[in-house]
Amino acid sequence: YAQQQLVCEACGCVLAEGLLTTTYTDEGQLREVSYSQSTGQREQQSRCLQRGIRRVQDLCKVLQLPAVFEETAVSYFRRALQLPAFHLVSLEKKELLGGCCVFVTCRQHNWPLTMGTVCSLLYAKQELFAGVFQSLQQELGLSVPALSLADLVKTHLGSFRLLQRGADVPAPFAEDKEKLVARTLQVVELASETWLVTGRHPVPIVTAAAFLAWQSLQPPGRLSCTLGRFCKLAGVDLPPPAYLRLKELLEILLRMASQLAWLRVFRLDKKTVVKHVGELLQHRVFLLKKAFCEQGEEEEEEEKEQGAAAPGEGSAGCLPAGQTEQEQEQEQGCSSRGKRRGEAARRPLLPPCLTKPRKRLRTAAPSASDSALGGDDPISDSEIEQYLRGAEEIRALQQLKAW
Amino acid sequence: SSFKDDVSTNHQPFASMNFYDVDLPIQTTEDVTVSSLFAQPKELSADFSSVDLSFLPDVTQENKEQNLPEDGCEVQEVLDESGSRSEESSVLTEESSSSFPEARCPSPEESGACPSLTAMTPLTPVTPASEGSKILPQLQNIVSTVNLACKLDLKYIALHARNAEYNPKRFAAVIMRIREPRTTALIFSSGKMVCTGAKSEEQSRLAARKHARVVQKLGFPARFLEFKIQNMVGSCDVRFPIRLETLFLAHRRFSSYEPELFPGLIYRMVKPRIVLLIFVSGKVVLTGAKERSEIYEAFENIYPILKGFNKS
Repeated sequence: YAQQQLVCEACGCVLAEGLLTTTYTDEGQLREVSYSQSTGQREQQSRCLQRGIRRVQDLCKVLQLPAVFEETAVSYFRRALQLPAFHLVSLEKKELLGGCCVFVTCRQHNWPLTMGTVCSLLYAKQELFAGVFQSLQQELGLSVPALSLADLVKTHLGSFRLLQRGADVPAPFAEDKEKLVARTLQVVELASETWLVTGRHPVPIVTAAAFLAWQSLQPPGRLSCTLGRFCKLAGVDLPPPAYLRLKELLEILLRMASQLAWLRVFRLDKKTVVKHVGELLQHRVFLLKKAFCEQGEEEEEEEKEQGAAAPGEGSAGCLPAGQTEQEQEQEQGCSSRGKRRGEAARRPLLPPCLTKPRKRLRTAAPSASDSALGGDDPISDSEIEQYLRGAEEIRALQQLKAW
Repeated sequence: SSFKDDVSTNHQPFASMNFYDVDLPIQTTEDVTVSSLFAQPKELSADFSSVDLSFLPDVTQENKEQNLPEDGCEVQEVLDESGSRSEESSVLTEESSSSFPEARCPSPEESGACPSLTAMTPLTPVTPASEGSKILPQLQNIVSTVNLACKLDLKYIALHARNAEYNPKRFAAVIMRIREPRTTALIFSSGKMVCTGAKSEEQSRLAARKHARVVQKLGFPARFLEFKIQNMVGSCDVRFPIRLETLFLAHRRFSSYEPELFPGLIYRMVKPRIVLLIFVSGKVVLTGAKERSEIYEAFENIYPILKGFNKS
């Protein structure tokens, strides 16, 4: 028979049982009260904070992040939740806050976690996530470095089923991971240099680049495979912009190919150029310089050609097949000049939004009357009266509303 | 400051206009046709910062010595699309593209004339046509508020005005639109009103007055108190593509560039306190200004930064 005795730490005096309790309710029940309960440690943390911290920890475990990430993310979360900007927001936003902290931590360690991934894990709307992320950055004064595309390539390709050994993939489709990563990196770098990356979603670029790289490593069996099928084989989603990115990449490669003498004879198109991607990547620095001129240079070349009044000045082409309509027009207009020049045209290297503007550019000239308006101009009664309803109209409306 | 009379440095475009003296056939402003004065689709009222000066004859060296006692070195930068260029070291030079980097401005020593005597002063204070950038941001939207200082019956307004809509379940204000200036006003039952859509401060004030006048005509004792411009939005085009990633790296402190979220870079300038949206195409949106000068100043601050990245 053992009874719990309470002993004074200072003097060693044994107190009779029942003389000292931690909470009066427990006195009645003769139950021990744990330390954390008696000091109210857990009560000091709101349930919201506790839940949030647990969510952050779970996220880190799911993403298999290093332990130090978890500590950082939790500390950000604690700090953020204290601020009025986050303390008083909706529960929905608080749920996203934890994900944001994890996301920021990953970015700061150059761990290529995309917003898309975090949002899908949290079942969150990306707009809401974006708002919370931006507030977090501002409130805590955090510096979030840019997403490293190179790292993203490595992690994204790492998830491709196609590259995993033992996966049941048909022989012509299987590929060595190191080789594919290396070539994809080169293609992504090329995309970056030719303005295909700035301002665009990163994942579709990586997907398109990986597809192109994969095709070019063994063209014979793979040219007939579509981007969609490739993504299915790889076990990844096909992001819609990837098709466009692929198209843009092929256009760049075709321009580069036009500068290689021994490729010009082949009259390459979007399919056949894939076979030569390796070569093109090898000489890309040289080819880019030859295929594209500086923006200023193009204007100079145009000035020199001030003789002819043909529409497509300064960009005569001997480009191989795969031109746009616009380029073909220019070619017809200045084929004579092109022959004189004797080499393929050099167009400035510009982002696609500038070379193919989708919107009709509005040269919105404010009307002369508008510009001459003064803030204190007189206002005529008739002008205002046009906005008022007549009695008949009102009666009719009221009858309508009565229904 | 809107007047730039400083001639101490070269290549300074001058906001004030300097015509030649008597010996040359000067046309007074009345003679110059309106179309040539307002050649630019820019936000200008009656100022002269983008005047087409092609009507003035070219000045040759002999001419200059004979006729010019002064003003040998001041240049009016003209944002002119006519494409003509005068190659001489004459005082008048036209730029055919707004991105042309250098002004052809002869120094005081070159022409042997003494500087800065304006033969004619502009009629209105001139907006600075951006020394260095020669690009003028265009105002796109002005948001202003005014207090009509009387309680309003929104249902009554919606019933009696043609240009008003009111859905209390969606939003607790009447949305009123007028055609000239093309603007929208949010009118609250407290009598407060927000006016959006105008392209200049004057237009915004006029529009707000018109909206208030409609409310008055409906029978409310509306006044027009504490009119204030709350926000101004401008936009322009630097005409060259911008490497946003590089800009972000160099100006991390002020920039937010998340291509996953938004294709542009968000630059929060501290002085003046303006937010700029910078896009890869070279188009820039500036917002957060309470005064027009803040927009111009912000653009002047960002232009050399953007130009710097263009060189690489």
